[in-house]
Amino acid sequence: MTTPLKLNGRLTIKDLNALPEIPIEGITYDQMYIEKQPICPEYIAPDPNIIPSSKRTVVIDPGRICMPFGAMWASVGVHGCIPFVQGAQGCTTYPRYTFSRIFREPVSIATASFQEDTAVFGGRKNLIEGLRNLIIRYHPEVIAIVTVCSSEIIGDDMEGYLEEAQDALEEELGPDVLEETQFVIIHTPSFEGSHVEGYNRAAKAFLKTMARRTTPNNKVNIIPGMITPGDIREIKHILRLMDIEGNILFDISGTLDCPLRLPQAMPYYPKGGTKAEDMKDMGNSMMTFALCPDEGGAGARYLEKRFKIPAAIGPVPLGIHNTDIFIKDLAEATGRPIADEIKDERGILIDAMADTFHYTMGIRVAIYGDPDIAAAATRFCCELGMEPVLIGSGTESKQFVKDVWAAAHEYNLKPTILNGSDMFEWEDYLKKDKIDLILGNSKAANVSKEADVPLVRIGFPIYDRVGYQRRAYVGYRGGEYLLDLIVNTILDSKFPDDRVHQ
Amino acid sequence: MAIPEKYRLKCDFTIPERYKHHVLTDSKKPNIPACNIKTLPGDMTERGCAFAGARGVVGGPIGDCIQIIHSPAGCAWYQWGTRRNLSDIYAWSGPGRLCNDSNNRRRAVTTDLQAKDVVFGGAKKLEEACLEAWRLLPGAGGILIYLTCTSGLIGDDCSSVAEKVEKEIGKPVFVIDSPGFCGVSQSTGHHHFNVQFYNQAVKYREAHPEVCMKEEEKGPYDIAIIGEFNMDWDLVYIKPLFEKLGCRIIGVFTGGERMENLLKIPDAKLNVLHCQRSCTYISDLIANGFEVPYVKASFFGKEQMAKVLRDVADFFGSAEMKERAEQIIGHELEVISPAIDFYRERLAGKRVGMYVGGPRVWHWQKVMKELGMKVAFSMCTFAHEDDYEKINARAEEGEFIVDNPNEFEIEECLDKFKPDLFLTGLKEKYLCRKLGVPTVNSHSYEKGPYACFRGMVNFARDIYQGIYAPVWKFVRDKTFI
Repeated sequence: MTTPLKLNGRLTIKDLNALPEIPIEGITYDQMYIEKQPICPEYIAPDPNIIPSSKRTVVIDPGRICMPFGAMWASVGVHGCIPFVQGAQGCTTYPRYTFSRIFREPVSIATASFQEDTAVFGGRKNLIEGLRNLIIRYHPEVIAIVTVCSSEIIGDDMEGYLEEAQDALEEELGPDVLEETQFVIIHTPSFEGSHVEGYNRAAKAFLKTMARRTTPNNKVNIIPGMITPGDIREIKHILRLMDIEGNILFDISGTLDCPLRLPQAMPYYPKGGTKAEDMKDMGNSMMTFALCPDEGGAGARYLEKRFKIPAAIGPVPLGIHNTDIFIKDLAEATGRPIADEIKDERGILIDAMADTFHYTMGIRVAIYGDPDIAAAATRFCCELGMEPVLIGSGTESKQFVKDVWAAAHEYNLKPTILNGSDMFEWEDYLKKDKIDLILGNSKAANVSKEADVPLVRIGFPIYDRVGYQRRAYVGYRGGEYLLDLIVNTILDSKFPDDRVHQ
Repeated sequence: MAIPEKYRLKCDFTIPERYKHHVLTDSKKPNIPACNIKTLPGDMTERGCAFAGARGVVGGPIGDCIQIIHSPAGCAWYQWGTRRNLSDIYAWSGPGRLCNDSNNRRRAVTTDLQAKDVVFGGAKKLEEACLEAWRLLPGAGGILIYLTCTSGLIGDDCSSVAEKVEKEIGKPVFVIDSPGFCGVSQSTGHHHFNVQFYNQAVKYREAHPEVCMKEEEKGPYDIAIIGEFNMDWDLVYIKPLFEKLGCRIIGVFTGGERMENLLKIPDAKLNVLHCQRSCTYISDLIANGFEVPYVKASFFGKEQMAKVLRDVADFFGSAEMKERAEQIIGHELEVISPAIDFYRERLAGKRVGMYVGGPRVWHWQKVMKELGMKVAFSMCTFAHEDDYEKINARAEEGEFIVDNPNEFEIEECLDKFKPDLFLTGLKEKYLCRKLGVPTVNSHSYEKGPYACFRGMVNFARDIYQGIYAPVWKFVRDKTFI
């Protein structure tokens, strides 16, 4: 049998339907060729006058997701915690879908299942019934009640409804039930901010509800922000080397990257997450580190104000300078010396930089992501001798601009900064400039392909690759990994094969 | 009929309202579970919202429109390039170069409502956003505006915005009013989209008769395919089969279709209705309003696909077409038989659990049988009575059925029935795999297309790979338990 060959062996629709036999393995993507039809016959340029997002109302390709999502991300980092979303079912289903795409893990989130009658009468009944149904079957240790656009517009009195719900639970199940579960209410109307603010509010809400001052301890508090399970493991590794005990809020490393081990208890709960007693103990610590200023800074500031615990807010310990700050602050706060192993890890990263600067120097890079991670990535690129020329943050942040300008000034660069802009604007700049490399999340993949500029994936969200959530980008070892990704991508795209042999 | 004690799920003892959603099938006297009713709050349902049904499922596949979500950015973000409802229509990414992803999945367009809009209204913002999007994303065939919880609650008059914008741009601008809090599940959104799209399309056709098919353009065997969303390019196999039969496909509602063709669908001679949950509404409306009948179809599996071709040939009534249908069926069966025989041999006797939105459960019951497999239990997210009637008719006697299952019920059923494979979606996939049960993505597929005769080989292969992946033997190594 002869197979019609076309386009490196790929088959058009006509060919596919003419095949006299379908092979056992079926027809896979690498064999299918779908001819693209242009939306209109000729290219028409978008109106240049309204490409800058400051000159228009419409948002195209937002680099931000909804506020409740950030609160849910935080909550699933708490041990035995199930978020209860006071809204319509989509406000739960979409985030669960998103978590599953990124982490390839199950995520349990409850919904109040709002409907038309809720829009009229409010969500009181949904919350009271919903908490009852959740508690009686799942016995969560913590329930994070997350509001959304609809419940906030309707004006649900969450604090009042929760009291009523607790009374009803006590009446049905006895007083012990109230000992079993703790409640945290997080107000997250999406029209007031993005997922970044949602995480920030969750940090404050959890600490306000849970943290207490009892006996001072020798620990440090870490509020990581929306970084990967691998990042959190790296932070733990650093603390271990420094012989420092830490309370990490919210620890997704044991909830969003879990082993497949049978038998599994039902209902499924991941083993890890920040324990309630550790959150309580966060009122006793020596210092709080909020690694991402916009994602968790509010929590650190709360502890500072309430319990006089000094706060170190940002920058994300990514790259040499930022990690140095984190390590020095850690040493200073705890009186611990900087461990020799850490100096070695720093040395290995520096060694890698020394080995590769001829590849990285002068490379023009465009960056897009959440404000904290984009600012930190910008500085690391500067440290590698690269030139960040276009840096966008999907969520508006003063700190982002400040951090990026500080790095740019230090390295004598004048990048274009898009603060709180959409990816449409960023993409337009990128396609018109000469850019060698993109650092961004999976949403930049299309842009990368269309502009023929390679992409190094970093930040939130990465759903089109496996393993990225298990890797660390923070700390010296994380820097080493990111450097490897960057340099290897440059080697693949900027150098002839005969040039990479030595 | 009450179900026997051994089928009573333990996880529901404390929420006994759930038991009315559980039945055992009976082909003679169908047992219909309580369905299409409110979810119990807090029961860990897998259901989504009306907006997801309208924008994600039915509207999302439309290939050439700007789809503006009137909401804070989140709702638009969640719909951006998720479902694999593919299209061959691509926007220009620059001169001489097309985008990397099809137009319907490439962008997220939103009014990004802020607190001040919630207080003062967002209609003005919507109007500006539509006109700007029109200038920034050139070449579109029209605009679809979707409402969400936020815009639904603040009560913007979006229809008058749409009228204004339509006059300005000279292309159809339709409003889909299906906020997330409407109805009991995404099924409400399917219904909303069908009715609202139909009404606005009819109005547009009346005001702009030039968009209708002219008499001389009409052919005797013009058909439209309704309720087909081109998941993972199912249309690669669907369209050519009908073309070989002698039909001309004038439009697909909505998989990868252009607005101009959607508007012509009422000019077909016959509609072939695939998804009978999400799109029976518009088929009925077209049948009543334009006297275009429809045939119900299932494009999955050998027997059902053969039946569709025969039904369409019977409708047109020509002996030649009937003859051609038989030739096509005979040939296609030959084309796939070596592969299907290979998988049938290896899948025979395996037990499968199925959990899909609704129709695919009954679409696939026969497919499983054709692969020699046995259905251990079935679940549907948003099925209605008619879906359960079809399930009863197609299932083996006494198959356990769960309507609107929640996470705990899924876990307990996997434990209780111990299927060799679970056909389910992405959210549930990772839970199942943590419990050691392989899955095949039944919404967006693993490596499709799965439709028609040729696609069935891909489906069988993915099922086979799920069950026979070497990983499962390591999972059960007792030394490490």
